[in-house]
Amino acid sequence: MKQLYPLLLLFATFVFSQTEGRLSGQAVDAKTGEPLPGVNILLVDTAIGQATDLSGRFELSGIPAGVYTLRASMVGYRSLQIRSIHIPAKPGARFTLALEPILIQEADVVVTAAKRRQSIQDSPNSVGVLTSRDLVQKNEIYLDKMLENASGVNFIGSQINIRGSSGYNYGAGTRVLMLIDGVPVLPGDSGDLKWDLVPATQVERVEIIKGAGSALYGSSALGGVVNIITKSATDRPLTHLRFSAGLYDKPSFPEWRWTDRLLHFDDMDVDHSRRIGKSQILLAAGRHQSTGYSQNGSYQRMNGSFKWFRPVSTHANLTLAANWEAGKRGTGLMWRSQRRALEVSPEAVGDHTHSDKLSVNAFHQWAARSTLAVKTRLSYFRNYWKNIFHDNITASTAQKFGLEIQGDYQRSAVHVLTFGTEETWDQVQSGLVGNHDQYGLSAYVQDERRLLRTLSLTLGGRYDYQHIDTGFRDEKFSPKAGLVWQAHSSISARFSSGKGFRAASMSERFSDSIYSGLRLAPNPELRSETAWSHEIGANIRLGTLMNLDIAGFSSDYWNLIEPVPDEAQNIQFINVTRARISGLETMAKFNPGIRGLTCDVSYTLMNPRDLSLNETLAYRPRRLLQTGLAYQFGPVELSVDYRYISRLDQVKLYPMDDRVAQKTVDLHIGFQWQAWHLSGHVYNLFNHNHTQMERTLMPIRHFVLTLRAAV
Amino acid sequence: MRKGLFLITGLLALGGCSLDDGLQPTRSGFSGTIRFKNAWPAQTDQVLVVAATRFPPSAIADIVMSDPLPLHQDSVDYTLFTTPQLFAAVGVVWKEKNQPWDVTNLIGLYFDSDNLFNPGKVHVRNRDEMVENIDIEADLSKAKRKVTSGIEGMLRTRGEWPPASQSLLMVASKPILPFGLLDISLGQPIEAPFDSSRFFLNLQPGTYRLVGALLIEKGADIGLSSVVGLYYKKAGDLFPGAITIASDTTIIRGVEIHIDFNKRPFAG
Repeated sequence: MKQLYPLLLLFATFVFSQTEGRLSGQAVDAKTGEPLPGVNILLVDTAIGQATDLSGRFELSGIPAGVYTLRASMVGYRSLQIRSIHIPAKPGARFTLALEPILIQEADVVVTAAKRRQSIQDSPNSVGVLTSRDLVQKNEIYLDKMLENASGVNFIGSQINIRGSSGYNYGAGTRVLMLIDGVPVLPGDSGDLKWDLVPATQVERVEIIKGAGSALYGSSALGGVVNIITKSATDRPLTHLRFSAGLYDKPSFPEWRWTDRLLHFDDMDVDHSRRIGKSQILLAAGRHQSTGYSQNGSYQRMNGSFKWFRPVSTHANLTLAANWEAGKRGTGLMWRSQRRALEVSPEAVGDHTHSDKLSVNAFHQWAARSTLAVKTRLSYFRNYWKNIFHDNITASTAQKFGLEIQGDYQRSAVHVLTFGTEETWDQVQSGLVGNHDQYGLSAYVQDERRLLRTLSLTLGGRYDYQHIDTGFRDEKFSPKAGLVWQAHSSISARFSSGKGFRAASMSERFSDSIYSGLRLAPNPELRSETAWSHEIGANIRLGTLMNLDIAGFSSDYWNLIEPVPDEAQNIQFINVTRARISGLETMAKFNPGIRGLTCDVSYTLMNPRDLSLNETLAYRPRRLLQTGLAYQFGPVELSVDYRYISRLDQVKLYPMDDRVAQKTVDLHIGFQWQAWHLSGHVYNLFNHNHTQMERTLMPIRHFVLTLRAAV
Repeated sequence: MRKGLFLITGLLALGGCSLDDGLQPTRSGFSGTIRFKNAWPAQTDQVLVVAATRFPPSAIADIVMSDPLPLHQDSVDYTLFTTPQLFAAVGVVWKEKNQPWDVTNLIGLYFDSDNLFNPGKVHVRNRDEMVENIDIEADLSKAKRKVTSGIEGMLRTRGEWPPASQSLLMVASKPILPFGLLDISLGQPIEAPFDSSRFFLNLQPGTYRLVGALLIEKGADIGLSSVVGLYYKKAGDLFPGAITIASDTTIIRGVEIHIDFNKRPFAG
């Protein structure tokens, strides 16, 4: 029952007036008095219907005289039916109606798959969701650690793989797009993901769209999209506090002990939100520091977030948001040797990186008409870093400006058109890649309609144009198609097919440097890599008893960009690989029959093939298993997570090194007392030693104590 | 309440019993002494021991490196921990300040016979074995500074490639008859087979009396008989042509080398 989380403890009041042949009204949040947009209004057994606009209003016109039943529905609310509505009605007649609130699972509603709010069962793509409950239970402060628990996801170093999409390319570019509140935040220089920009404490939920998503999101959505949805400000004054401290255990073997110091870490986070006049404001700040478990593994980080929401008219609202992170962290490319796996080469001791990141977004939503919403996003992202390494000192500043205008046109209750245009400009001044500008322009459209009562079709496409100051130009068209068949109220089947692409990052094109004796050589003529993803899946829900999802998938890749050492041992990124990754993913959430006990299991079986070399694709595991068992008794919750990632069949750089499967067990225990939550955690309980990318030992066993409060 | 607790505790106990340690420190490898001769170059950044599963190595994947050795010593004892494998060659590599690693910049090689063209093999057979006495003499005068000078030209082949051919290496030696591999400057491997291929061989200033191509064959030792083509100033010359690199930036272009697999220069 605990998994039924109250997302919106609201109920709405409907007020509608009737005129001859017309029916109009407004949906409002009965608790706050705010308009309730997106409620589907339908006259039963007719094609007359619409969704309420941002001010919660609707107006149905041209209704032939007769007696009707009106149905109002929205995810998060109990559907409402009003019978015996006579048209034409008495002029000026008004009715006040209350919708019963219902508890729903947070995971039921997603916003990323279609760039608008929809039920997860309406999405033709596989969607994974991590809710705020998961974030609290797992207690990770950085999102990459959180996402390791998601079905079909594994990491190689800091690079996320969704169904094996990314492999590993030394942090230069990503095949998974990261969004913060719908806005891409890939820096122009390295084009990699910055997991530390937003701490997990500021995250409401994370949505993971699996498979190529370039038809809506453009470059980098080759293997999927991760959308981090940050907390919203609240109406009543609310302060969250989080203090956390932890210790690293000693390594398993005496050869790996590199210091007598106590290795520890601590985190402090605070946020406060409240309403001021018509505005809602959220302010957050945090400090995180660690000695690291390995040499050069230390970090000190500070972060801050700001969010401001205000209705600017009855039809429009504005959100301003900013996230900032700055810090210093030690850097070690790889271990000294497997004999001394937690040390770096003696000359690299003290190598470190300073970083400073800032993202600022403005988001304006306007209900231009009752059937048309226009969303405008202005974004700015600045990523500065400076490497202070023993053999070079390099700094880089990358700025990204973005503008997106999106329209959601609700032609009827069963037909939605989403369209928009996006413009980006990257400006890079870097000691690693030089000074470069990159410009991108794109346009997209997506049509979702219900063909039959139980069958929905989605068609869409996006055109992207890219221009780099060296004269390089590229353009791509990414189509998509999807079908959802609601066979029964608890069974749905889906099919999707879509194209993805990734433009090479500036790091891959222009890097020219030496680190630890390895030279990176530039390749300005790199072409974009492309993929076609296909998926067929089914979802079965038996109330709160079980949720089972099964998907078969296949992704074909062309011109994959891989780092390849040339004859002179220069490492250069080139378009080399034609690949295919196919597989099966199953995910089940169920109650095994013991009160308070819930179980999550997901298993992904993959066959990643490098078709150019006719061998297993490098840096892709064949099997992923994630399981979680949670037991709630009274105010105490006990949970165990087990993660298994099979041994990598192929790696590129050091294939002779030992490689093993990853087997990690995490244990969590939490105690809730009024507004206070105390929890203890043991990560890597059995101290399993493994690597993800070569020559970097993953975190050894560590213990954490966390105190949270909401006051 | 008890059922859930028992279940979680039971699963944890089961997990704890079934999980292994995963990776372990390497305890196998080889060790020996390196004796340095001649003066330490001022530009020395690092010197270390490198073991290669293929010789010459063609990728980073082929090599294992030791920790950097102490500099400015006459002799150093070393131990290289590595997982069990057969190494085709073990050598000492010199690295110049502010330059990337170049595993062909060898100043010493391990030999287990008098044939100085054939590096000694080192076989670490199991995870507990430490092979000892892999001693190496390192000649610091063989260290090659970073220069842009060299020769460039074309390799042309005639006849059937031997079935075990792996790659061709451009080589150059100051003496017309080199005493061993360390007298030879080695180029980067060019994958076999090919009819013709462009090459560039990076060379230090000096006069090279022997410029040619060396065939690497799978399973075969390297020796003078591996030389499959030599540079001659003009066809019919009795002796190979000498090439002089005057400065750090001199590039001699248009060097043509004809390889006839039926007529090896040092056959027999």
